[in-house]
Amino acid sequence: MKTLTKAATTGLLFGVGGVYLALVGLLEMMQARPIVFGAVNLGQAVLALLALACGAVAARDAGPAFARAGAGLLGGLLAGALMALLQVIVATVPLQGMFIAASPALRNMLAFGFAPGPGALAMLLGGGIGGLAGAVLAVSVPSLRRAIVAGAAAVVIAGVFQELIQLMIQYEGIIGWIRDFVYTWQGLRPQGAVAIFVIAGGTSLVLSHRSSAGHVPSPDQRRRRRFISAGVALLVLVLMPLLAGAYIGEVLMLVGLYILMGMGLNLEVGLAGLLDLGFVAFFAVGAYTTALLMSGSSIGLLHLSYWEAMPIAVLVSILGGVLFGLPVLGVRGDYLAVATLGLGEIVRIVVLSDFAAPLLGGPQGVLDIPKPSIGSFELGSPVKLFYLTLVCAGVAAFIAWRLENSRLGRAWEALRDDEDVAQALGVNLIRSKLLAYGLGAAFAGLGGSIFATMLGSVYPSSFQLLISINVLALIIVGGMGSLPGVVLGAIALIGLPELLREFGEYRYLFYGAALIVMMRWKPEGLWPSEVRSRELHAAAGEAEPVAAMEPG
Amino acid sequence: MSAGPLAIPSVAARRGAARMSAVSLALWTVRFLVVALVVAGTIGTILKDRYTTAQWFEFVLFGLTIGSLYAQVALGYTMVYGVLRLINFAHGDIMMCGAFAGYFVATPLENSGFLEVHPVLGMAAILAAGMVVSGVIAVLTERIAYRPFRRVQGFAPLICAFGVSFFLEQTFRGLFGSSVKSYPAPKWEGVEFHWAGLSVPGVDLLVIVLAVAFMAVLYLIVQKTRMGMAMRAVSEDGEAAALMGVDVGKVIVFTFALGGAMAGIAGVFYAFLFKQVYFYMGFTPGIKAFGGAVLGGIGSVPGAMLGGFFLGLVESVGPSLFLDGIGIKAPYELRDVIAYTLMILVLVFRPQGILGEHMAKKRA
Amino acid sequence: MKTKLLVACFGLALLAGAWWPGPARAATSGPVTDPLGVIRIPKGAPIVIGGYWVLSGPDTALGLDEKRAVEVAIHDIGGNLLGHPIEFQAEDDQCDAEGGQTAATKLASIPNMVIVLGPACSSAATPAAPILWQAGIVDIGTACTAPSLTAPDRKATYDGFVRTVFSDNDQGAFDAHYIYDVLKLKTAVAVHDGSPYAEQLAHVFAGAFTQLGGKVLSIEAVSPTEVDMHPVLTRIASEKPDVIYMPIFVAASAQILRQAKEIPGLQHALIYGGASLMAPDMIEAAGPAVVGFHIGYPDVSPTSMGKTYPKLVSEYTKMFGEAPISGFHANAYDGATLAFKAIAAVAKTDSAGSLYIGRKALRDAVFATTFDGTSGPIACDQYGECAKFKGAVFEYTNADPKTFKIGVNPKKIWP
Repeated sequence: MKTLTKAATTGLLFGVGGVYLALVGLLEMMQARPIVFGAVNLGQAVLALLALACGAVAARDAGPAFARAGAGLLGGLLAGALMALLQVIVATVPLQGMFIAASPALRNMLAFGFAPGPGALAMLLGGGIGGLAGAVLAVSVPSLRRAIVAGAAAVVIAGVFQELIQLMIQYEGIIGWIRDFVYTWQGLRPQGAVAIFVIAGGTSLVLSHRSSAGHVPSPDQRRRRRFISAGVALLVLVLMPLLAGAYIGEVLMLVGLYILMGMGLNLEVGLAGLLDLGFVAFFAVGAYTTALLMSGSSIGLLHLSYWEAMPIAVLVSILGGVLFGLPVLGVRGDYLAVATLGLGEIVRIVVLSDFAAPLLGGPQGVLDIPKPSIGSFELGSPVKLFYLTLVCAGVAAFIAWRLENSRLGRAWEALRDDEDVAQALGVNLIRSKLLAYGLGAAFAGLGGSIFATMLGSVYPSSFQLLISINVLALIIVGGMGSLPGVVLGAIALIGLPELLREFGEYRYLFYGAALIVMMRWKPEGLWPSEVRSRELHAAAGEAEPVAAMEPG
Repeated sequence: MSAGPLAIPSVAARRGAARMSAVSLALWTVRFLVVALVVAGTIGTILKDRYTTAQWFEFVLFGLTIGSLYAQVALGYTMVYGVLRLINFAHGDIMMCGAFAGYFVATPLENSGFLEVHPVLGMAAILAAGMVVSGVIAVLTERIAYRPFRRVQGFAPLICAFGVSFFLEQTFRGLFGSSVKSYPAPKWEGVEFHWAGLSVPGVDLLVIVLAVAFMAVLYLIVQKTRMGMAMRAVSEDGEAAALMGVDVGKVIVFTFALGGAMAGIAGVFYAFLFKQVYFYMGFTPGIKAFGGAVLGGIGSVPGAMLGGFFLGLVESVGPSLFLDGIGIKAPYELRDVIAYTLMILVLVFRPQGILGEHMAKKRA
Repeated sequence: MKTKLLVACFGLALLAGAWWPGPARAATSGPVTDPLGVIRIPKGAPIVIGGYWVLSGPDTALGLDEKRAVEVAIHDIGGNLLGHPIEFQAEDDQCDAEGGQTAATKLASIPNMVIVLGPACSSAATPAAPILWQAGIVDIGTACTAPSLTAPDRKATYDGFVRTVFSDNDQGAFDAHYIYDVLKLKTAVAVHDGSPYAEQLAHVFAGAFTQLGGKVLSIEAVSPTEVDMHPVLTRIASEKPDVIYMPIFVAASAQILRQAKEIPGLQHALIYGGASLMAPDMIEAAGPAVVGFHIGYPDVSPTSMGKTYPKLVSEYTKMFGEAPISGFHANAYDGATLAFKAIAAVAKTDSAGSLYIGRKALRDAVFATTFDGTSGPIACDQYGECAKFKGAVFEYTNADPKTFKIGVNPKKIWP
């Protein structure tokens, strides 16, 4: 009975999820995105995935194999029933006045092109079959299951990102031959999909076979492996734009900027525990200082070269950081977050205002900022600027890494753990706090400086609260206080959404959902610093009994 | 958390104290500058004599109207912060959900003529829709996004709150489209009251009076009911309350439901006043309402009300009163600057807010 | 060791970056020779057309509206051009400079990108247009009205940029002329919302109005998401202007219209808006207060031209389930039409059915194409300004959104 209820609940939940995806407009949008050209699109793939996952989840802990299959079938049928119901409702009731996604095109998709009646039946059947298949998959041999999942995932990635992948393999010869075998103009060929599935699945099978024969790696080995993979990742990051062209270079450039800012904020938040939501203010200070010093337009002050303007911009940012830090020295924790948020907004509004327009250009911004050049060699393209950013990020990482293990770094850590105790232990609160603000601001200012020259123009609209949130989110998702975490976080939160650009507004939906999911399952971050993860686990272990006391 | 008695006056600390005076000098300078600016601006404005008494009255009235909405949203922030120590950044978006619910009830009611004939019943239905939808979404948010963090220190819950905010906004955009929806305007709302040469739009009066009434009800719930008492106990000290047999989980759900319902009402009023409903409408008022909660002293229910009203008032009167006088162009562009500056000043100089007493001490 | 590795990587990469090849130049392919390169589209392969607009954030409606209009234009020619399917690829520029740069870089890196439409925001166009032109791609702006984009002193990097929307300079001067010379109103307050478009237009108007002899009492600013306009309107009322000039967007201007009726002293002031307010959305957002509201807009009345506009609106409504959601869909539709006409004019087909388009030739064809568009006549001058601003003043006469029809409601009242 309990199994039945669970299967039914799972089915209904997945059905609601499907209805949500449909009404929010995602299914229809995904339908426009082919995976295998002329055969499968992303929308269909997502529907299939929903049914499979529903079956798999419903079948979990359902006892014997036949019971699991039954649970999967029931779950899939129920989910399918909900979707079928939606289709029939869309067909009969004019819903579009309220839900704009409830269009005839959506109905057509949910009915697989049939009339409402047969379409509902098809959806019901499809759900049932999918659920059953999911359940069967769940009970099958793990290595086989992994292979199928890996193969399917590889096909989906190769199909969804076909455009980017095709951009990267614009070569003649053997690569060109492979490309033409796998892809057409518009997407993956069926033969290519089969090949990718077989290769990825096969690789997974071989790997799982080998690892099951192997041994559990020691912590020391694991650490070494981590560093090797970090090195490889870095090398890929460095070589990527050369292989993949300007667009990837541009995306990496943005990732690089955020890494730079992340390093800075990491000093403030990760080490010193000062939660700063107004970080964008220093980014703006750096950008505007550079812009005003360099711009060739009438608003430009000195027409300096980039190499003269950048250090000044960084100094001004540091000054800004210290000046800002002074009044909020006594403000702590969440209160500090709110105070800094207010500060960031104040800077943006003032920059935008008519009041400051004679100096800062107001909404029209500062235009005509030249690119940096070394001798006669101009760092004109995003790819070239990416390397500048990478060098700066490298320097920043080095400084951050040295600071971490310095006297100051330990003072910050003491500060983070308990301000009062730190003070009692002789940590100079004022100096260490102001240093944290100043150094954090320096990195942000440097980022802003590169940003200004990258765009050649600076507008107030570039300095939204969203930037502060992004930077904070990336260091927390990456793992607070961890330098590789910053890189990982920037790639995940800045790079990935950039690649999903064509989903337009929906990428903030993904972004929001990803933040929630990530924080739920891995609050310590993708690559936590070792100290932090130990602390968090200790805290969690302590909390367990208390949490268990609460019913519900 | 506080380790006051531990602070042995060591040499370092004494040296710190000497430097502290330099810092406090800086703080005093800030205080002096702000006061000087306000005084100079006010004198300048008075000398210019640009506005009539009726116009000043209007500034105040409009400030109180928008302030009543801030106050309602601020209540949700303050209550959630009290029991969970969480800044629920998605709270403004929960207000948006209520506004949408109200819109989908109000439009057919107006089109069928019901709202014209039965204003009270119609408004009750619209408000109920806003309250229920916002309340339910607030509770769901808590269940899905915040409950796992009940015992987690650090910034994960805050990031999660941002995630919820994005998710809610984009969900509503996806469901109902990105265009600005226009709230119906029944004929009876155009009533104006005249008194001693001043005119008061009926809607403003209605919104202020109803908002105050709802807040009074909420205050009574918090003060007099068992659940309200449990809520206050949890705000005071969650662990002690749990040991005394308070069901903390239930209290948290109740808090979210209550705060959500209040935000739903605010959303309906907001839409009713400004006639616009769209997915992004909650974000800025949400942040400002949080400022209101801080202003009043976070964790304090009457404080949030007072803070909200005060913020609305300063925002409305401030640009004309202080900024105009010192010759700033287009002062209303800077009205958010006034709001945020006020918030920062309160955090720096009086973190316990206008009314909050013990809450802040425990937190800081 | 790690550090050394890092340094080595950076050094290596920097060197490699320096050798990064420039964009492709002069080429001959099939029957076409072109100094900027030739696009070859094999038989059956799609003609790729790019677009970038603001598709997320608070200004979504502005950009989405134009993207949809381009989709209508593609639909109207049957999705095919010269026997090749059209593949339309739209990017989000977030209405800011970095978004514009990213979107443009992405579009420019797609091989065989023929032409790009958009953006809506001048701040996105400023960094984006040079990137596209460096790759030999023409960019047809659809709502970016900053004068600098088509100014006679624009840099050579903007040679590939044209726009099917008029410059703020023309609009502002026209509005000032109408208000001062025709209506004989002498005092004005201009309101902008901090967007580059509105701020520019407010200042252009203020300059022109002052030059004519009028008095601009002040230039006020609101934020685009502001809803409570009472205080700023009370402030404006204290100056007793004849006209409030507000070239801002739907949401904020609807608030100003509604709330101005409640402010003593402003009940009789004329409120005059910009082209972004020509939309059914405006009526819905402002309600009864919309009646009597004036806007300056290109003259698209049936007598003058624009018979195709109502068809665009009905097609749009049919395809997207809602009426146009912002003000520049007609310009975007014309931009797409301009692109199609120019491509058709220069594309050559060889015996195997492949299509060849010379990039420089396409650019010149865009500049040379003229036609009567839905927003007005389209003909580019040498700096890329294709929309001749032939102004008219419209007045809203009915508060029912369903009655929206350019020329009827709002009704053309001048000339």
